[in-house]
Order: sequence, then structure tokens, then C-alpha cells
Amino acid sequence: MTTDYKEKIGELTGIEVIVKNGIDVEKLRKLLLAGVGAEFFTYYYYTILRMHCTGRDGEGIKEIVEDARIEDRNHFEAMVPRLYEIGGALPRDVRQFADLAGCPDAYLPEDWEDVEQILKVLLEAERCAIRSWGEVCDYTTDKDHRTYAIAQAIMQEEIEHEAWFVELLTKRPSGHFRRSYVGQSPHTAGHGGLQHL
Amino acid sequence: MFKVCNVSDIKENSLNKFTIEKKDILVGKRNGKFFACDNSCPHRGASLHKGVYKENNVVCYMHNYEFDVVTGKLTNMKSWKKSDTWIEQNPAWRESGDLIMYEIEIKQNQVYVKIPPNQ
Repeated sequence: MTTDYKEKIGELTGIEVIVKNGIDVEKLRKLLLAGVGAEFFTYYYYTILRMHCTGRDGEGIKEIVEDARIEDRNHFEAMVPRLYEIGGALPRDVRQFADLAGCPDAYLPEDWEDVEQILKVLLEAERCAIRSWGEVCDYTTDKDHRTYAIAQAIMQEEIEHEAWFVELLTKRPSGHFRRSYVGQSPHTAGHGGLQHL
Repeated sequence: MFKVCNVSDIKENSLNKFTIEKKDILVGKRNGKFFACDNSCPHRGASLHKGVYKENNVVCYMHNYEFDVVTGKLTNMKSWKKSDTWIEQNPAWRESGDLIMYEIEIKQNQVYVKIPPNQ
């Protein structure tokens, strides 16, 4: 992490204002790193889970798993620039990144041919993500408007993902229809320079 | 020492968050005894005041890690997937420190907490 910039230009105003509002920047960096780590590795594990959505039952959920998979990747893309803005960074070694992720690895279940077991893994991953971004929202509300806006947008999509998987598991209506296209990210798309969308 | 609140503000079996000198601390009362610690879970930083008690432990709502509120020690890490533990996860991911405990004192119906300057 480069620190000598302060000698040249002083502290970034974007950091100064959140510190004055009571944000512990080091704590926020850790929360964001845990959050983007969870998204990055969820994207990875969802790829494996989606590959195993097979047969008639699996085919029925494959596209919705894909929607969640790509949107989780978008969440990583949306928040990582903010991590760097506040002086944080991604670990140089991806293994270290995995160990710091805010959510457990969403491993393929042993009995993956039972689609319900895959759905339970997906659901728990979304629930952890909601809690994780909820922590960021709680910590930044009224103190760090920029981080809050991104985390709040991500959380909205995570809550929708949870509702999708609950509906598939229990038939409880989610209130949603599927996305217009894969990776739509209706809440997050305006954040983090998601130019590939 | 920092004055935090009145004794009557801390109910038995409650978990209460206070912000002292920009630091979030947890003050609770379990089995008639007051305790104070950093409000961040040492595992991944979740807010411990959102957790619940189980015996003499506070259980973090994020990953169900359990910490003894007297000693601060990590005592259990229950997984949603397997009933006993997060054993299926990578050991490095499971790793966690103990709670950062703070000295607490009751004087004239007021709760005081000592937070070392380096924390």
C-alpha cells in the first residue's frame, strides 16, 4: 500500500470526511474485503453448482442459478473500486483472499443429484451475503454515503436471490420474475464501472 | 474509564451496543454478571450485539461462532450444514481469535468500561 501520497497532497478528502463521521477506515476495509471475497468465491462455487444442475429438475433451476452467479460477480466488480478508494487492496495471493472471505465455501454437496441439496447450499450462501452486506450498511449509514449506496444496492439483489431460492425450495412466492438478461443487476448496475454490462 | 450507561439500562440476558470514542463495544449481563467486549466478532467482524446467548456464550449471528462472555475464549463453531462444527470448511477460513474483553466496573449505579488507548 502506497502511503507517501499524504506527504504530497495530504489525506484524501473522500477519506477525511468519513473519518470525521466516525468511520474506522481499517475496520471498513476489513468488512469490504470480507464482502467482496464472499462474492468472488460464491461466483466460483456457483459455477460448479450450476454445472451440476442436471436432469429435468436441475435444468429447471439452471438459468436462475446463472442469474445469481453473474450478479454475484457483478457485486465483486461494484465494490472492489471502493475498497481501493479507501486505501484497501485485494490480497496478492488468491489463497489468502479465500481465507478472508466473509462467507464459507459453497461446496458442491455430496448428494448433488438431489437438486434440493444444491438449492440449500445456494440459499445459505445468499443468506450469508445478506448478513455480510447488512453489516456494511449498518456501519456506514449516515457516515459513509458512497459505500452505503453500493452496499445497499448489492444487498437488494442478494435479498432477491434469497427469495428466488426460497421459492424454489418451498413454493413460497418470491414476488419476482427472472431477470431480463443474465447479469442485469438492476440495483447494482450503476456502481463500480460495470462497463461489461 | 468511560461512563457507558446506567446499570438499569443493561437487562439480564441482553446484548447492548454502545459507541465509545468511535469504537463499538458490547455490554451485556449474563447470570447476574456484567461484561464488556469489542462488538466485532473476531472471526469476520460481524456485530455481536445481534447474536444470542447460549449457556455462558454469546453466539455470533453470522457463522454461529460461540465465545465465552467471561473468558472471551472461542468455545464452539457450529455449522448450519453439519450439526457440530464448520469442519467441512478450510481450517484457515475457520480460524478465529478470541473476544477482546474490556474491564468493566459498576460505581454508583453507573456502568464504566476501560478501553486501552491502543485498541
